[in-house]
Amino acid sequence: MPLLQSADWPLLIDLYFFLAGLAGGAFVIATIAHLVGGPRSREVVRVGYYLSLLALIPCPLLLVVDLGIPSRFLHMLMVTKPDPTIGAAAINIGPFHIKLFSPMNMGAWALLGFGVLAFLAALSVFLEDAKRGRNLWALRTTVGVIGGFFGFFLAAYPGVLLGATARPLFQNASFLGALFLAVGASTGAAAIALILSFLGQEAGETLGRLRQIIIPVLLLQAATLALFLLRVGMSGGEGAAQSLALLLSGPYSLVFWVGAVAVGLIVPFALQVASRQPGLAAISAALILVGGFLVKYVIIAAGQAVLS
Amino acid sequence: MARTVAMFTDVSLCIGCRACQVACKQWNQLEAEEPEWTGTYQNHAHFTDKTYRLVRFMEEKDDKGALTWNLMSDVCKHCAQAGCLEACPTGAIYRTQYGTVNINQDICNGCRYCVSACPFGVVAFNHDTGRASKCTFCNDRLHNGLGPACAKACPTESIQFGFRDELAAKARKRVEELKKMGYKDAQLYGEDQNGPLGGLNAFFLLLDKPSGYGLPEKPRLPQNNVFVDSLLSIGSALLVGVGALVAFRERGGKE
Repeated sequence: MPLLQSADWPLLIDLYFFLAGLAGGAFVIATIAHLVGGPRSREVVRVGYYLSLLALIPCPLLLVVDLGIPSRFLHMLMVTKPDPTIGAAAINIGPFHIKLFSPMNMGAWALLGFGVLAFLAALSVFLEDAKRGRNLWALRTTVGVIGGFFGFFLAAYPGVLLGATARPLFQNASFLGALFLAVGASTGAAAIALILSFLGQEAGETLGRLRQIIIPVLLLQAATLALFLLRVGMSGGEGAAQSLALLLSGPYSLVFWVGAVAVGLIVPFALQVASRQPGLAAISAALILVGGFLVKYVIIAAGQAVLS
Repeated sequence: MARTVAMFTDVSLCIGCRACQVACKQWNQLEAEEPEWTGTYQNHAHFTDKTYRLVRFMEEKDDKGALTWNLMSDVCKHCAQAGCLEACPTGAIYRTQYGTVNINQDICNGCRYCVSACPFGVVAFNHDTGRASKCTFCNDRLHNGLGPACAKACPTESIQFGFRDELAAKARKRVEELKKMGYKDAQLYGEDQNGPLGGLNAFFLLLDKPSGYGLPEKPRLPQNNVFVDSLLSIGSALLVGVGALVAFRERGGKE
């Protein structure tokens, strides 16, 4: 086994990946509900955009706190004296730099862009609630569609970021971005459903529509998770089998099988399919959130663990 | 750009004296660290933020079951396609005019992405300064016409410094000599500029397969995954988008 080192990203980063995915997923669902849902989906749009902004607010703080030198957070986007030789696909524009093959750099830009758009979307909801705005439809559609692309990016890029490391569990994975995107969509939809069932507003019908997206997205989450495991297992990469064993039968297996798979994926899926009762839908939504966090946490923890 | 420089480490000449490791610490003013028991004479177990040169004492069993040493003075490979450099979101890691890879300590903000992205486990995080650090190829010496301190200190010329093309020719000649002497597994690691990572600017002559020295057999540039992983993410996004459109469309739903 070649000797590798690990960034040892702590729980803060797992939490960021979870919240960023949730924010992106909720935003995309709100945008689609806004575009095709008509008046019956209004609550999904309202809650989705508000939730997206709220979930996003802690994100930059989590990232900045984790840095070795937090005051240099702006270096992710710009430096006063840029070097021209910082990578194959690096673009320097004045003090700014865009590194197309550094997902962390691209993610920092996406976070900035999504932050602006999530704020504008939430503002449009606020203005509508205050009956201040006119012709908000056009603004919201523009912001919603562009922000939707950013939302997808924000949900998926952490997986691509992990894939672009030398850690065997990530490097041989291919499907981490796809998995993280599915988790972002499932947690985003579940969080909206949970809030709506607490608010109790026209819960029945709106929850029914959310149920129709939650079920296929959970299936996608299960499929991408299975493809991820298969891909790593069959890659034959150095250390891949060993790091996969840590996840599936080693110290992380309990959290993975019980937390991320059974409690966080199978049980909520069964609840969604078996029953339309709002109480059970709320429990299912809560479990999806737990599972969405755990699946990211446990994969990152197992992938960063020391290999002998 | 100046002519690319290189370090050539010939393990057949290494006697495990660790003069390189000490010279590196002294020139770069790196603190001493607590020794740790690794089960062999090797100290430390891996590169740290204060150990840029590390002599590996890999213990292998030979055909008769007797213990043999694979000695190798390991260092940052200064890859032609460097995972750390491509990963760095701040542009702190740059390629110098000599073809080496360096971390600009005035820019690094301690995100630690490069630590995970190095295929050789070279880059380490310094908790005291909050920045990543690794071998600088003695950038300061280089700018003053001197080779790196490790190569200067090596008493057996196991570590040689020079222009890359000249050193590579020398290395190819040396490996032929060793093969004639009966070292059938003698091979060059990282000398080939068409090979993995576009060649290494610190390349090695090994007497065993790379894994016998704790080196990856086929190091890969981690960023090669970005394109495919992104395409699969887009596929996932399309499925979510279509699913949401079906679920929320106003008419024809299964309500």
